[in-house]
Amino acid sequence: MKAQLLDPALKAVLQAFHESWAEKRADCFRGLDFEALRETLAGVKDRAVAGQEGLLARFEDEAARRGSRVLRASDGDEANRLVLEILKTHGARTVVKSKSMVSEETGLNAYLAGKGVDAKETDLGEWIVQTARQAPTHMVLPAIHLSRGDVAEILGGHLGRPVADDIPSLVRTARDEIRKDILAAGAGLTGANALVAENGAVMLVTNEGNGRLVSSVPPVHIVLASLEKVLPGVADALSLLKLLTRNATGQRITSYVSFIAGPQRAAQYVILLDNHRRELGADPVFRDVLRCVKCSACLNVCPVYQVVGGRRFSHVYMGGIGSLLTAWIHGLEKSRDLASLCLGCHRCETVCATKIPIAGLVTALKGRLAEKSGEKLWKRIALDAVIGRPAVQRAAFGAARAARPVVRRKGYARPLPLWMKRYDRFRALPAPAPKPLSRLIVKAAPDRKAGPGQGKGRVTLFAGCLVEHVYPEVGLAAARVLAGLGYEVVPGPPGCCGFPAWNAGHAASARRAFRHVFRKIEAEGPVITLCPTCTTMLARAGPDLLLAEGQAAPPGRKRGRDGVPDARGFAARVIAFSVFLARNEREGLQRLLARGAPGPPVTYHDSCHHQHVLEAAEDSRVLLRLALGREVVEMTGPASCCGFAGTFSVEHPEVGEALLADKLAAVDAAGAELVALDCPGCLLQIRGGLARRGRSTRVKHLAEVLDERLRRPSPPRR
Amino acid sequence: MVNRGLAARFTAAAEAAGAEVISVARQKDAYVTVARLLDREKAKKVAASASVRESGCAGRLLFSNPGNPLEFAQARVALVRADYGAAETGTLVRLDSDDDERMLWTLPATCIALLDGERVVPGVDSLAAVISGHLERRKPPASQVSLITGPSRTADIECALTIGVQGPARLIILLIDEPEA
Repeated sequence: MKAQLLDPALKAVLQAFHESWAEKRADCFRGLDFEALRETLAGVKDRAVAGQEGLLARFEDEAARRGSRVLRASDGDEANRLVLEILKTHGARTVVKSKSMVSEETGLNAYLAGKGVDAKETDLGEWIVQTARQAPTHMVLPAIHLSRGDVAEILGGHLGRPVADDIPSLVRTARDEIRKDILAAGAGLTGANALVAENGAVMLVTNEGNGRLVSSVPPVHIVLASLEKVLPGVADALSLLKLLTRNATGQRITSYVSFIAGPQRAAQYVILLDNHRRELGADPVFRDVLRCVKCSACLNVCPVYQVVGGRRFSHVYMGGIGSLLTAWIHGLEKSRDLASLCLGCHRCETVCATKIPIAGLVTALKGRLAEKSGEKLWKRIALDAVIGRPAVQRAAFGAARAARPVVRRKGYARPLPLWMKRYDRFRALPAPAPKPLSRLIVKAAPDRKAGPGQGKGRVTLFAGCLVEHVYPEVGLAAARVLAGLGYEVVPGPPGCCGFPAWNAGHAASARRAFRHVFRKIEAEGPVITLCPTCTTMLARAGPDLLLAEGQAAPPGRKRGRDGVPDARGFAARVIAFSVFLARNEREGLQRLLARGAPGPPVTYHDSCHHQHVLEAAEDSRVLLRLALGREVVEMTGPASCCGFAGTFSVEHPEVGEALLADKLAAVDAAGAELVALDCPGCLLQIRGGLARRGRSTRVKHLAEVLDERLRRPSPPRR
Repeated sequence: MVNRGLAARFTAAAEAAGAEVISVARQKDAYVTVARLLDREKAKKVAASASVRESGCAGRLLFSNPGNPLEFAQARVALVRADYGAAETGTLVRLDSDDDERMLWTLPATCIALLDGERVVPGVDSLAAVISGHLERRKPPASQVSLITGPSRTADIECALTIGVQGPARLIILLIDEPEA
């Protein structure tokens, strides 16, 4: 399914918003420990979900004591019907609403319209898109896609007269219209940011003030909230508040926060909606999704969202978290398209207010989707039949190498045939190297001239598929660097670690590939990796897969190398090349690097897993500083995804291409002659993209940069 | 005793959120300031909560008496009293007592809020028990606790910040040294 991209004007607006949001957010977290705060909030939410029934019962009692009527709705249809009944009971022909994602989830507005009841939004952005009969494109800024000219046209059409297009008068005009609606409405409907069990109160936050108006001006107040909003007490609600406003809009607090307990005028109803929340809360894998506080910080850092926008990347809920909520609330099939748009870059996890492992859960969701309906044929072939089976993979690459005579010069493959053009139009695809790494590297012995510290023991060098078959020079460079520092380098087995299969949700193939590698690696010593996704697979996902399987192992089976005890030990030995050197060999490197002129200006690209999962951004920069004798020239958005993301760039080439274009623009602007990085996948993507554009900027793996610098001739002694 | 440090932090945070903060020495000075502000706003009367109207210092202020939401919406200036201030965020805290109170804080275009300096606490967090207590203590009918920081705002159109949307466009805080008797 082709992804439409945002038009450049809207993309620029979103980008500006994200940059300003990031600045404001950083500012309002200064002096606070974000990690500690979100750890606390995650605990609060988990306990609340676990104790949900008791808390809801308490909430109901307290609310009833104050004169509220609390009603339960098992699904969206029931919630809609209850709202209609309430409106009929009180003779309300119009209901004004302050922003409620739950009401969008149930399709309330359309339902009421069908029954002759007018439901009017009062949040300025929502009111504008409602008047324009459009869908919102962002959770916090629904009308972000509209210019002031657009808004003037919409208002003008609504009022039947021309409207000036300066923002203050647009706001004033809209406000007057909205106020008329509020003053005339028979009922007001709000969501709830929290339901406070200890006193039956509802916490509501806005900047505009419309929440307060909607809940206190019309005679009837209806609250529509999903079950997982319930929290024990005011203190818990305040700890939610602290993170919510900072994460959502970069504000220390919103203009208005109200704790509303009981009817404000004639009557108050609180509708508690289940709609699969209970089911989700009982699922051992996916229950963390219920921690979501709808701050949309994840959306603001999502590379795909920034390129395709909210309409494309949503069903009702947006983004990676949106795919998870959709799968449970609206059905597995409806989440398929959204899940496939997730890059798996993990950037969302770095900002989530409640530490939901969003990217990991989307991978699990992809697994469920693959199980349910089977996967596309090309994926099954590529991931299960080839990569998942080492012998087949070797044969496939062997055949590709044998076909080298038809390859163009400089190691790139001929352009693909027309019907496959979409896959290589934005980057040049490399041809396999003449010999794979495993044939070139035997054992690299420690360099006898290394000086003190030689004979530091054995390390295994795990290359991964791309280094093995396409970039063996990276593996050779890494081996030389390690040998030069005094290590005996043992080449690891040449198979695939299993990451591509795992990331696509093909757990069985992933486990098979991982186990094959795991069995063949030496029993001791560090396992040094050259690719961050290999590191992720070998150190985390792979052992997890084996451990899960180990629990289901048949009785009497020998607990050998692939049994439960060893997987954890193995995981602890796995370490990325740059991290290993930065943590253990700063002095060693310093000694070996000849003093001479500083190196050329080099810029650095942070690969997604290297930065967000391994948190190794600083380690790489330390090494480059040592190697080059100067600071890295930072490009804008060094951590922006290059768009490769494994099979993603094949499934969604337009998105991959758009991300690559942004990355190459940043590389150009940085003005360095060399881009260093730690991931062979990024190397393929960026080098190929530069080649396609005829640029001369070189791209090298950090191992190659270090190797080059170490092999420079020493300057003559004075 | 007013904690000068907290008062200064409150003022800075409230101003950063777009409120105007005026320091006033004594309660009756506050009402003189209100009269001056009404002149500035070219409003003859002010809509005020019952407790404010009945305070001995109200002096020569003329009060309007809105009875329903429409009338509240037509009032240009409201005068209210906050129960607490939170210094970290420049937030006013009102433990609401009735409907009309809420309308006063939200509908008129300009909101003048009286705040005793000695009721400024470090942050909203420190008021959890107070908020809980208020929500506990009230018998039916309703009660509400409002946290108000600056005037109303939106950035919904082109992400451009606009002050004054549905709630007041101006929030003026009179920070009073002398406690209320």
